[in-house]
Amino acid sequence: MFTHPTLRRHSALRRGWRRCLAGVAALALVGSFAAAPAQAATSEAPASENVLRIATDGFIDSFNPFTSFYLVPTNTFRYMYENLVANDAEDGSVTEGLATEWNTDDEGKVWTYQIRPDMKWSDGEPLTSKDVAWTYTQMMEKEEMAVANGSLVENFDKVEAPDESTVVITLKKPQANNPGQEIPIVPEHVWSEIDKPGEFKNDEKSVGSGPFQLESYEANKSITLKANPNFWRGKPKLDEIQYRYYTNSDAQVQAIRSGEVDFISGLSPDQFTALEGADNVKLNDGNGRRFNGISINPGVADAEGKEFGTGSEALKDKKVRQAIRAGIDIETLRKQVMHDYAQPATSFIPAVYPNWTLKSDDPVISGFDVKKAKKLLDEAGWKEGADGIRAKDGKKLELRFLTDADAPIEQNTAKFLAPWMKDIGIALKNESTDVDTVSERTTKGDYDMYFSGWSINPDPDYQLSINTCGQRPDADGNGGTSQDGWCNKEFDKLYRAQHVELDQAKRAELVQKALAIHYEEAPSVTLWYPSQLEAIRSDRFTNFTKQPTDGGVIANQVGYWGYASVEPVSAEEASGGGGLGAGGWIGIAAAVIVVLGGGGWLLSRRRKSDDRE
Amino acid sequence: MTRPARNDPHPADPTDPGPASATHSADPADPDPASAAGSTGTADADEPPAGGSFAGYFLRKLGGAATSMILVIVLGFFAFRMLPGDPVLKIAKERPMSPAQIAELRSQYGLDKPVIVQFWDYLVGIVTGDLGESYVYRKTVSSLIVEYLGPTLLLTGTAALIAIAMGLWLGQLSAWRRNSLFDKLASSTSLIFWSVPTFWLGLILLMIFGGTLQWLPTGGMITPGLDPWSAAGIIDVIKHLILPVVSLVVVVYAQFLMIMRASLIEEMSEDYLTTARAKGLTEDEVRRRHAVPNALLPTVTVVFLHIGGLIAGAVTVEAVFSWPGLGKLTFEAIRGPDLPLLQGTFVVFSAIIIVMNLAADLVYRFLDPRVRRA
Repeated sequence: MFTHPTLRRHSALRRGWRRCLAGVAALALVGSFAAAPAQAATSEAPASENVLRIATDGFIDSFNPFTSFYLVPTNTFRYMYENLVANDAEDGSVTEGLATEWNTDDEGKVWTYQIRPDMKWSDGEPLTSKDVAWTYTQMMEKEEMAVANGSLVENFDKVEAPDESTVVITLKKPQANNPGQEIPIVPEHVWSEIDKPGEFKNDEKSVGSGPFQLESYEANKSITLKANPNFWRGKPKLDEIQYRYYTNSDAQVQAIRSGEVDFISGLSPDQFTALEGADNVKLNDGNGRRFNGISINPGVADAEGKEFGTGSEALKDKKVRQAIRAGIDIETLRKQVMHDYAQPATSFIPAVYPNWTLKSDDPVISGFDVKKAKKLLDEAGWKEGADGIRAKDGKKLELRFLTDADAPIEQNTAKFLAPWMKDIGIALKNESTDVDTVSERTTKGDYDMYFSGWSINPDPDYQLSINTCGQRPDADGNGGTSQDGWCNKEFDKLYRAQHVELDQAKRAELVQKALAIHYEEAPSVTLWYPSQLEAIRSDRFTNFTKQPTDGGVIANQVGYWGYASVEPVSAEEASGGGGLGAGGWIGIAAAVIVVLGGGGWLLSRRRKSDDRE
Repeated sequence: MTRPARNDPHPADPTDPGPASATHSADPADPDPASAAGSTGTADADEPPAGGSFAGYFLRKLGGAATSMILVIVLGFFAFRMLPGDPVLKIAKERPMSPAQIAELRSQYGLDKPVIVQFWDYLVGIVTGDLGESYVYRKTVSSLIVEYLGPTLLLTGTAALIAIAMGLWLGQLSAWRRNSLFDKLASSTSLIFWSVPTFWLGLILLMIFGGTLQWLPTGGMITPGLDPWSAAGIIDVIKHLILPVVSLVVVVYAQFLMIMRASLIEEMSEDYLTTARAKGLTEDEVRRRHAVPNALLPTVTVVFLHIGGLIAGAVTVEAVFSWPGLGKLTFEAIRGPDLPLLQGTFVVFSAIIIVMNLAADLVYRFLDPRVRRA
């Protein structure tokens, strides 16, 4: 096989080297050709000055506010359609929307709203109380219009518009929570003309009352919103908002570094710290409206009290659940696992709602206390065995902790938890699996403990309601939704009382009492309220409004405050320092390689033709 | 996916009369019939028995492909239903939804029907070309697939062309200079890249050329608002294409390089090359005119096999670079889980691979006279 090349083996070897160099040079040349026009093009087309570009990866089925329940459309509706009443930026409490004022009868059954006069839809048509009544009635009367928000009008008996500026909502049962929140009001003159409004996609040139209107939507590419000149608070300073699709959050981080987008949200702590010190990027560690917790199976049962699932018998005893709480050093966990990007928590209503959240000085709150945990387990009859694991009636205290294998926060929490539980005599096994298995097993009650989380709206009523006995689903997940599968008559009584208490101070007191019971019973241990980590191109835009205004979030607000106030940074302010960045130096290095490589390549061509002769 | 074993008339076989006469060597693509007949009997059990007609061969391969397709269709339905996760509960998670709303959604998705009825609807749908309606996009799956096929073909087609051309070119050079430094570098580099996970390489490229150097865009196919058919639009698409194509090419070109290399090395000991040299041709001419065309035969069939795999491999690259193609559609359908869409893309990806395999079988038969005559 080696017969022919042997003659010229030596020269072949040398030629091999040259070939190789030539290859490198060729690659480098291709690279530089590719890069050069690209760079030129970037500087040719500067980003339009007054368009806020936001990275997104969310699902969109349509922009129909009656049927869409995905996060991106729902957040967009908040910018497209004003509600009857809004939730303010400061602490999420109810503030004026389409209505300037409102009142209710003595028991909270008949709500009367005064609509602001002379408002216009984005197409210039007048906006009146008729539009409000029409929108609500559609949702109450037609099943296909109730897909997304039907539960919000379930308690509505009738809605009337006695004159152009008055709306009267009569409820079936009294409620303290203002019924005019979170339901987008649409223009009757547009929607009543649509043949099948339940199937209408509403994905271009929308007509609405909010600060921005949907201009166009291209699936998996972009969403464009245009400022509404008729917005009653005044036309926004931005011309447009453009959402751009990035499937992957690491790509979003690169996009804000390169200036292809102006705002990103939902960063991981690692991504957030990686952006520290990036040029022209301002970071926002916003206090969020979510909580994370460890749900402890208190013996899940359906609404009739029929038990199902595989939860440990031991956990039906609240002393064992309390011992688990006392055995977890939540503060260390918050600092180590969350890198401090989370607020300390009490119960499941987050601290961004100061009216409702359980106060941190409430007497029911107890801290990390190993001694107390051991004492509680002793009292519950679990005696320490030779291996340090407690046992009762010959059965060891062994529990399973269900976690999502793809969530580093859950995995790290599990790593801390196992030794802490062992310290108090509980053998805790981390069962990590995929997120779908977690949700299926928790639905079926097939767990002892799992890592849970919920987003909470400004009014606590819904979250409290899913902690009541009647909201528990059956083993197939039908019938209702329950936060922890827990049932407590005392809690239910407080829930019902706050549901109709019109005096806000008194209602807050009832809510906190209910939260204290949940805390004491410990069907779940609230760990923290995670921050929403966000980044802004500070060389392009300024004046984002946070919710809460003090230390809150910009994206995913309950309202349109975040982008409605944004202003472009003027050109002089934006011009950054000159000089050569890292990119420049690497570019120069690449050029040097190309020149050297190119020389080698030419050289090799010449030598080769020599060889041939 | 397996590489079809090549009928290899072993050159050292003393019983092989060999085509090494001067008259035959001018046309090496047509080897001595005797040698071909002598070797096929033992070389490949997968080949039809001697005397099988082309029609029989074609029908048998077609039957095999049809069986695979039926299995894929059945699997496409049950596999995704066996996976944990209820699409409706996932939507309802953390949302204030009443039981009535959840039930309404279930009936809209057709999930309230018994599984066997759903399966029947699905089968009828596939036969009539109706793949159902996506939960998320609220459009028919067929129209979504048609809409997203274009970008995927642009991406994978470009990558396939470059990877094949680069792999074959480097492969024949490596084989010709076997064990030289060039060979060692080219082969080992390609194998190192071959073992790099595509998504990781994609992210690294994204970080260097997108985030840090800012030479190339960080995602998507075109800057929103540009007309894709204008000059600026075409340049913009090319810019968006570079990084995903590089990630795809760099990871897969090794397989083409290795196939070409192995196949040419086999050819290199053939006597007709000695004849060619004896005629006074230079080494480059011997390689280009005689050795490489013959070595290409087995390579082409393998290339067909790999093109199908390349299209399916676009899932990761499209997810990393936010490329609006079928791969990204699949990636998001899994997150849903958007069952009809997942079934649709699964069936379509599988069908592409099955068709490519069938094509490889047929092309192989057509190109290689030894198989044709068998």
